[in-house]
Amino acid sequence: MRLLWWLATVVGVGFVSIVLSEAGAIDPARNLTLSVSAPVEGVFHDAASPLDDIYEGIADRGDLVRENEDLQEQVEALQAQLATQQNLEQRLADLEAALAVKQSRPDDQLLAANVIAEEPSSIKRMVAIDRGSDDGLDEGMVVLSKSGTLVGTVAIVYGDYSWIRLVTDPESAVNAQVNATAVAAPSTTPGVETSPPAAPTAVRGVAEGDLREKVMLDLLPPDVTIAEGSLVVTSGLGGNYPQGILIGSVVDVEQRPQSPFKRASVEPATDLSSLETVLVIVNFRPHRLVTP
Amino acid sequence: MKYAFVFVVAWFLAVLNVSAMPYLKVLGVTPDFVLIFAACWAVVRSEDEAIYVVPIAAIMRDVMSSDPVGTSLIAFAPILFLAVIARMQLLDSDFLPALGTVAIASFSFEIIHALILMLTGQGVAVDYLIFRIAIPAAVVNSIFAPIIYLPVRWLSPDQASVLRGTGRLTSPL
Repeated sequence: MRLLWWLATVVGVGFVSIVLSEAGAIDPARNLTLSVSAPVEGVFHDAASPLDDIYEGIADRGDLVRENEDLQEQVEALQAQLATQQNLEQRLADLEAALAVKQSRPDDQLLAANVIAEEPSSIKRMVAIDRGSDDGLDEGMVVLSKSGTLVGTVAIVYGDYSWIRLVTDPESAVNAQVNATAVAAPSTTPGVETSPPAAPTAVRGVAEGDLREKVMLDLLPPDVTIAEGSLVVTSGLGGNYPQGILIGSVVDVEQRPQSPFKRASVEPATDLSSLETVLVIVNFRPHRLVTP
Repeated sequence: MKYAFVFVVAWFLAVLNVSAMPYLKVLGVTPDFVLIFAACWAVVRSEDEAIYVVPIAAIMRDVMSSDPVGTSLIAFAPILFLAVIARMQLLDSDFLPALGTVAIASFSFEIIHALILMLTGQGVAVDYLIFRIAIPAAVVNSIFAPIIYLPVRWLSPDQASVLRGTGRLTSPL
């Protein structure tokens, strides 16, 4: 009987706490806890980083992994440049649309933050950073890697700390675009060749998080061909993300039998499992924040 | 004093959970030392202590993660009932019952945790939850359980009496 009373109390207190937590009433307490814990977390986080290499196995492999990470950062930076260039070319090619796009966003104002913790649950993909509302952060703000590729958005904000929802989190959905070519229709006249493939055009989809550390680019038109390695960037549609931020590259495209859309598996440009420093765009106000 | 010690240990393990443990993914999941600690304590120590220790551990886990506070409080609740079954002394040792409690508590934790997150607007596919998260979590937490079980066992009153020279030495396993 005592256990049943205990269970009823725990469940009752639990649900009340969840409601209070969702309403933000417990945020000051959580901020205080993180303030006390952050230095210890930082020490553990830094100390555990080499564990990653040890865990991988061979001692020498650590150097190779680090070198590989450096090279990967360079590739990311180059891919980000290429993505920006492709995006500019796309905008130049589509002059009318380009003219319609208001170039209202000035140079991004970036706030650097250190990753201090990672969500332990396997259901979510989130990291904590040492910046919060006192630094001007707000929910929905866009977070980039050191190389300028998309990491995610600010999901929960306390005074001095925030939780970032990574693009691989199942709750993450980003309007994105990728270059594709239209599938040439087969010629109906015998002896007449099909027309040459059309020039690549940008097609839009929604990049949704996937717990397997990937991003799925969904809702793609079925009549286009998307090459492996094609770069996926934010489309800016909806106003929640700036346009042209690199998300990753296509690794696989699938056409599900009963779906009217194609779906592409996207490898994030940044290794999201080993983030140490991120950049928050503080001068870009997502549409959902500026509209009531 | 005892609960202050539990509070500090739970906090330390919760910090470890979010800082160092993500680097140690096995079968795609990270071991949850806070859950292991609560389960081992509930099996090895008395029920009177467990009714306080389990909620303390759960709250420490919640405040250090991005979950709404209260999620682990509810999701840890089965631990106490599992511990009651484990303490029925079907075996001489409480090591295997502790492992069993950790495994089942890990599985039930992931299921309840996902259900609560669903209520707060976050969801996950059921097959993925069971086969890629809940079952691996049960296996991985059981593998790591001895790391927490042994210190908790050695700190239990009967072992402490041995250290004071007033009891009989028994194997923690």
